[in-house]
Amino acid sequence: MSQVVIEARGVNKVFGRTGPSPVEALRDISLSVAPGEFVSLIGPSGCGKSTLLRLIGDLVAPSSGTLQINGKEPHQARLDRDYGMVFQRATLLDWRTVGKNVELPLEVMGSDDRQARARQMLELVQLGDFEHHYPWQLSGGMQQRVAIARALSFRPSLLLMDEPFGALDEMTRELMQQEVLRIWRETETTVVFVTHSIPEAVFLSTRVFVMSPRPGRISDVIDVPLSHPRDEDTRESADYYEKITEVREALRRQERP
Amino acid sequence: MSHHDDAERDIDILETHETDPITAFEGDLPVGTSTPSALRRKLIQYAPAIALFFIVLVAWESLTRLLGVESFLLPKPTEIAEKLADNTGIIWAAAVNTLIEAIGGFVVGVLLGITVALATVRWAAAREGLMPFAIAANSVPIIAVAPITNAMFSLTSPVSKMAVVAIVVFFPVMINTARGLTEVDPAELELMRSYASHPRTVLTRVRIPNALPYFFSSLKVASALSIIAAIVAEYFGGPQDVLGQYIVSKAQLFLFPDAWAAIVVASAIGIAFYGLILLAERVFMPWHISFRAADDR
Repeated sequence: MSQVVIEARGVNKVFGRTGPSPVEALRDISLSVAPGEFVSLIGPSGCGKSTLLRLIGDLVAPSSGTLQINGKEPHQARLDRDYGMVFQRATLLDWRTVGKNVELPLEVMGSDDRQARARQMLELVQLGDFEHHYPWQLSGGMQQRVAIARALSFRPSLLLMDEPFGALDEMTRELMQQEVLRIWRETETTVVFVTHSIPEAVFLSTRVFVMSPRPGRISDVIDVPLSHPRDEDTRESADYYEKITEVREALRRQERP
Repeated sequence: MSHHDDAERDIDILETHETDPITAFEGDLPVGTSTPSALRRKLIQYAPAIALFFIVLVAWESLTRLLGVESFLLPKPTEIAEKLADNTGIIWAAAVNTLIEAIGGFVVGVLLGITVALATVRWAAAREGLMPFAIAANSVPIIAVAPITNAMFSLTSPVSKMAVVAIVVFFPVMINTARGLTEVDPAELELMRSYASHPRTVLTRVRIPNALPYFFSSLKVASALSIIAAIVAEYFGGPQDVLGQYIVSKAQLFLFPDAWAAIVVASAIGIAFYGLILLAERVFMPWHISFRAADDR
């Protein structure tokens, strides 16, 4: 693996460039993410954080600038199955059991040992007993954990998460955050995490990219050197609050013209 | 596809993340649970409908008797039952012939509908060019072509009736199936894209399962339409040993209870056909929201 997982230089994205009202979604985005990092993109709605994630994942193409994933074009990285994706909704297929949902990418990719691998992933997200249940029989938090298991089942080098806990209640959300950190440590996957929750970004990340809107830019990059493993005590520590304040102030600075 | 209520999904069955088996499930999966208690629940569920059926029957019988309604206006149920019993053999033979026409046309119409629907997924031009006409055609009384197909194919051949049935069945099946194949949650398509899936894989893993509920609801409509189309096509002439001709000839002779007996059989066939589709639906998509046991929702 190369020294950087994500390398962006001067990336711009304009939607509807040829139309009557083009929208500049991202301007001059430059960032680099090293293997094993957990980075968050945070900013007010409309700041283009999801668009940036979708550019990285080759769901949309940049208008200009260079973007490389594991030293390749995003398109090639997608063909090489470098990405695991988790969206705000779990997006499980209704007609498949939990186990079969986790097997889906393995099936598409023609992997062997699908069932064993799916079981292993369900164990990882602590849903080992729910292999034969249907998605609707699970709570929102459990469904989202299935989505994470599915995204990791084919061992992608990069996990892209777009507000995955946005629809969950606060308690479930905190539990899920700890789960994700545990999985991140166990699998050593690089994670890019989009959120609009300041505490969530600080708790999870090794680095927080603060974005400002219209057009979306990276206004600050904040290191979060809190020690791992992070747990309930972390949430009550002074360092944690300090970082939250720092991110909050960085977001507030943008509001002044 | 119909996304079930997010609020319903978010009912937190499990607040914590321990792997304890969830007691609320009691291991009862939604698929084919026919325990004695489930059977009893079903009976209780259908009891009002069954009761209403008999109430209507009794009311019909007593009112026609009380008011002395002439049998050409509305025969008594007992009279109809009597004629049905007297002519079981003839009516049954006619029903079988009508059923062959209906099912033959149904199969052809459904297969054509599926084929064209798949083509609309593969070629956007087919979808954009064809769909407006298909939707327009679906809202005109296609049954009106029956005399023409009778002329096109031999009047005596069941193929002429099958042709009408096939045309009538084709449109709802094609339109609904095409809709189910194309109206897929965009997030599901993005997910498949992130796996670098071949379009064929997207078709088999996402589009076709997504289309199943649409397809089956179109089959329910089509099953009823196929019997109607077959009988109406028979009114316009052809062999005598079919339900349509039986009804027409008895009515012409003012033998209305006889005609009604055949109508009852036609209705029974229609209901049975519909029931068969319901059964197939359960077999092919046991995961669907409509089959989830009430207390699991």
